Amino acid sequence: MLVENCKLAIISIKANKMRAFLTMLGIIIGVAAVIAIMTVGNSMTKGIQKQLESYGVQNIDVYITPFDYNAELSDADIENSKFKPEVLHKFSDNFKDKVSAISVESSVGNGVVLKNDKKATVDVTGVSAGYFKANNLKLKDGIYFDSSAYELGTNVAIVSDLFAKQLFGENYSAETILGNDFEVNINDEYINITPVGIYEFKAQGGGKQKTSPMYMPLKSAWNLNHDQSIYYMTVVAAEGQDAVKVSEDIKKYFIDSLANQLGDKFTVEVYSNQSMIKENTDMMSKITMAISLIAAIALIVGGIGVMNIMTVSITERTREIGTRKALGAEDSMIMLQFISEAIILCLIGGLIGMIIGVTIGDVASKLMGYAPTISFASIYISVGFSMAIGVFFGYSPAKHAARMNPIDALRYE
Amino acid sequence: MSNNEEILLKARNIRKSYYIGTPNELEILHGIDLDIRKGEFVSIVGQSGSGKSTLMNILGILDRQTVGEYSLNGIDISNAPAKELAKLRNRHIGFVFQTYNLIARTDALSNVEMPMLYAGLSPKERRARAEELLEMVGMTERMHHTPDELSGGQKQRVAIARAMANNPDIILADEPTGALDSGTGRMVMDIFHDLHEKQGKTIVLITHSNELAAETPRIITISDGNIISEKTQEIKIIRPATEERKEIC
Repeated sequence: MLVENCKLAIISIKANKMRAFLTMLGIIIGVAAVIAIMTVGNSMTKGIQKQLESYGVQNIDVYITPFDYNAELSDADIENSKFKPEVLHKFSDNFKDKVSAISVESSVGNGVVLKNDKKATVDVTGVSAGYFKANNLKLKDGIYFDSSAYELGTNVAIVSDLFAKQLFGENYSAETILGNDFEVNINDEYINITPVGIYEFKAQGGGKQKTSPMYMPLKSAWNLNHDQSIYYMTVVAAEGQDAVKVSEDIKKYFIDSLANQLGDKFTVEVYSNQSMIKENTDMMSKITMAISLIAAIALIVGGIGVMNIMTVSITERTREIGTRKALGAEDSMIMLQFISEAIILCLIGGLIGMIIGVTIGDVASKLMGYAPTISFASIYISVGFSMAIGVFFGYSPAKHAARMNPIDALRYE
Repeated sequence: MSNNEEILLKARNIRKSYYIGTPNELEILHGIDLDIRKGEFVSIVGQSGSGKSTLMNILGILDRQTVGEYSLNGIDISNAPAKELAKLRNRHIGFVFQTYNLIARTDALSNVEMPMLYAGLSPKERRARAEELLEMVGMTERMHHTPDELSGGQKQRVAIARAMANNPDIILADEPTGALDSGTGRMVMDIFHDLHEKQGKTIVLITHSNELAAETPRIITISDGNIISEKTQEIKIIRPATEERKEIC
């Protein structure tokens, strides 16, 4: 019965190709718009999410912040807004299981290196051992700082490949650089530094950057700065730990253990990358949903078109309905025939719309610089929805047809 | 036709009224009593406006009587639900209309298959039976043609094959030759005679033509919504042989 109904529907659609196409157009446009928008939205969400994840999914920023940003702070207050170095050790002992790295940095300033009549500028930063993990920084050559370098604060450095190229040319050899001291002029002070590693420098944003970071052990930077201030830290939650939950634990830990220092002026704030990614993704999804809903209006308008054409088609075929009833068709069979026709009309429209929507979404995503992520949910939703439209808008005309008195239908002129 | 034969169709005091806005009531049939037995070939003859078509619609369960009792094959249809009526039409009645009423855009074969589709037969059974019926009416060669590719006579032959699809108890033919020229009309009548004589089909022929009515063993004349006369006769008409008949169309 179902097969016959589909056959009949296709025959009747074929008989009025142009009309069927125009009817489908509403569905095609609606489905294509929904799918295209959802694909672009998904691609953007995924793209941004990926970008954010590259900063470390498990990263949690921890800092001390005043309750009131406008309050005037004394020097003593400002001291209270920093983490003390000894606090760090206790924290790392306490969170051994939950945290895989703690990254603390201390900026020294810009430095200039002159060698072989060439010049390189560096941004000298002291870092703790956890920095490299938190920032996903991999070495191309050489080694990371050893524990004695961190403990003693020796003048060793990890430099960028940009730095190496600036001083030794594009085809530098790591051996000629590593282990050979160079002189850095930082804040009008000349310091001898031994490079031990070279990392790959990735320029942030566009344009050509000339200054790259040069990393030293945290203690070395403290020595150069004559200051051991820790303004904030980045903590990497251990693998398998829920970063958002760990961040809450950290906040509670510091608020409790630093109660005296924080007083009534400061509090500890944590910011997990994961919650940011989630916030971002949620927002993008909401925007995508909102625009898709607007596009879905086209589907409803298309559905009304289907209803219109079904009403016309049924009126035209009143005698046929009468004949079918005379031949023994039950009301439900007549109804099924016309609903099948509406569904098939919508389904064909939905499939064409899907192809167009996926194509537009794919091209638009690529043009916007995001890897296209085809939203399968949107495909199910729009094709399902277009079928539902077929049923919904086909129902009333089909019911009208089914309820016709056979003799009235047969006599219809 | 012996009176002891099983009564297939039994109508008592059938009245049909139409309301053309209250309180005006137009009664088309004024109480028809009619029995048709199995195997009869009956013609109901009358001028247009006599009520014969209205009677046929009621006999064919396409319409309901306003007053009266009507049973088909012992089943009282007065209070049967629409679904039951559809089944009765499908299994027990075969219609042949003046205007053929074939389904456009579908070929002769599908048209003949349609009542069997509604009866729930398998595609294989439907196809075999439809081919057999089309062969019976001499339409095998054109079974894949759609109605607009067929002549009037051919369409009516397909319609007769369709009426026979579920091997109904009774065939109701409403002016089956009305839209045909005399040659093709003759051929259609011959098919009815064949069905009656060879297969023992019960046939009710509705016509305005006394000439056609004269071919049938029982003639019921209707006028102004009443049966005004009824007569039975022995029929011996010399008709052309089947082979010659095929040449006509």
